[in-house]
Amino acid sequence: MSELLSIEWLKIKSYKTFWVLIGFFALLLPIWNYGIANGFMKFGSGDLNFVSQAYSFGNVWQNLGFWTSIFVVFISILIIILTTNEFQFRTNRQNVIDGWKHLDFYHAKWLLVLVLSAFTVIYVFLIGLIFGLSYSSFNDFPGNISYLFFTWVLALNYYSFSLLLALLLKKSGIAISMFFLYSMILESLLSKGINWLSHSLAGNFLPLQCSDELLPFPLLDMVKRIANLSDSVTPTWYVLASFGWIIIYYFVGRKKLLKSDW
Amino acid sequence: MDSVLKVQGISKAYGTIQALSDVSFHVPTGSVFGILGPNGSGKTTLLGILLHILQSDSGNYSWFDEMPSDQARQQIGSLLETPNFYHYLSAYDNLKIAARIKRLTNPNFDFVLKTLGLYDRRNSAFQTFSLGMKQRLALASALLGKPKILVLDEPTNGLDPNGIAEIRDLIGNLHHQGITVIMASHLLDEVEKVCTHVAVLKKGNLLLSGKVDEVFRSTDQIEISSSDLNALSDVLKSLAGINQIQQIGDRLLLHCNEQKTPQAINEYCAQNGIYLSHLAWKKKSLERKFMELINENQTKQ
Repeated sequence: MSELLSIEWLKIKSYKTFWVLIGFFALLLPIWNYGIANGFMKFGSGDLNFVSQAYSFGNVWQNLGFWTSIFVVFISILIIILTTNEFQFRTNRQNVIDGWKHLDFYHAKWLLVLVLSAFTVIYVFLIGLIFGLSYSSFNDFPGNISYLFFTWVLALNYYSFSLLLALLLKKSGIAISMFFLYSMILESLLSKGINWLSHSLAGNFLPLQCSDELLPFPLLDMVKRIANLSDSVTPTWYVLASFGWIIIYYFVGRKKLLKSDW
Repeated sequence: MDSVLKVQGISKAYGTIQALSDVSFHVPTGSVFGILGPNGSGKTTLLGILLHILQSDSGNYSWFDEMPSDQARQQIGSLLETPNFYHYLSAYDNLKIAARIKRLTNPNFDFVLKTLGLYDRRNSAFQTFSLGMKQRLALASALLGKPKILVLDEPTNGLDPNGIAEIRDLIGNLHHQGITVIMASHLLDEVEKVCTHVAVLKKGNLLLSGKVDEVFRSTDQIEISSSDLNALSDVLKSLAGINQIQQIGDRLLLHCNEQKTPQAINEYCAQNGIYLSHLAWKKKSLERKFMELINENQTKQ
């Protein structure tokens, strides 16, 4: 397993795009959050600021988690590019010709997804630690740290979803477009539509939406809590749904790879 | 081990197009085995199946007496269709990945790069390479770890005449070192020059396979004429070793076995009281034999 991963590392360690996209994520996420914590990032007018959020340990994991749920697109795109590159360069075939099983190729990519999701959550933890210590004391640690776990679930869901898209569509342009089309537009339409038609929250359980539900926009969440409008669905169900989808992605991708020509 | 590869009844269809039908053959150890056929005859599909990137509809194959396929592939150097490498990585880094997948303990990077004349460019990115250099890198990669078998699909594609000659010499050298080479080509000339064995494919059908000199056994033609063609024809009908007599204008074209020399024909006719006014021996070129082989089969179908 570590052998697969270290070969995967050989493929990417001197790939500029890899470092650029990881760099965007690693730089922009803390800068963005610093802007909000510091107050120079304002959305609203006058004294009204929709993103005025606290970064003490009590809130930092939820705030960081929410913004991470947006910034993970950099790494999602990275996974799509790394995977579609293999098809474009036909190196997926070469890897097999040189002696990998089809599943070795597949599992190497899954390991990469796992590592990148681990990187995401560790990185968010470190940023959270710094923010938390700056705006509160260590006595408040860890605070609402379950949101850090949700961040990991979300990252894993997004990354493995991206991997599946790349495997199914094989072309980076189409896969990236579909990723944005689905995650930003189509799924919102579907999820709200299903909720509206079924008078339930069934639409919240769509592939990416179930993880998005774990990390709602903090202000809206707070308003909901104050107004006692909390959803009847507990996060546990969304976590389970996320893992359900991740397992489905794995088996769909596996079936596709094993039954088709390379 | 007499054969390094056994292929048994492999068929594959792409939709309604039958790419391969019931192809079987053995590749003897130490041979240079040419898979010869025109474009679209199924050569690359066949190699793709043997290297596990395409799935056959039926049939099976085994490398090295039933060795598991992925283990076998680690010991086979292959170049299929086009050179497949990470565009942004250097020649050297690309070879490193191949070596790791092949589980080579002490890869001969410098040797293969020097053999293919790429040593000076080893740190250049693959995307900066010319077509010929890409092909050379693919060959270098195939030679990693001194494989017992080389599988090469159109190995001289994209190379200049100099490069083609070099590759032929290289294949010759490897053959002398006891390495089995399986090579697909549409170039008859190439197969004739480097191969010991050949399998001829046409539209997915294996026409025949065997030693090159047996497959292309000369069926020579002798052209003769005399004052009475009918009498000549009658006399020759009783001579063994003549497969076909064809009248072309005022001459007869004889398709004979290789044992039948013009001298023998002349002697036989003279013994039977017929004196030839014309006698010419037409050695067929390999190319014409190949075309005949392919066309003959077409008319049979």
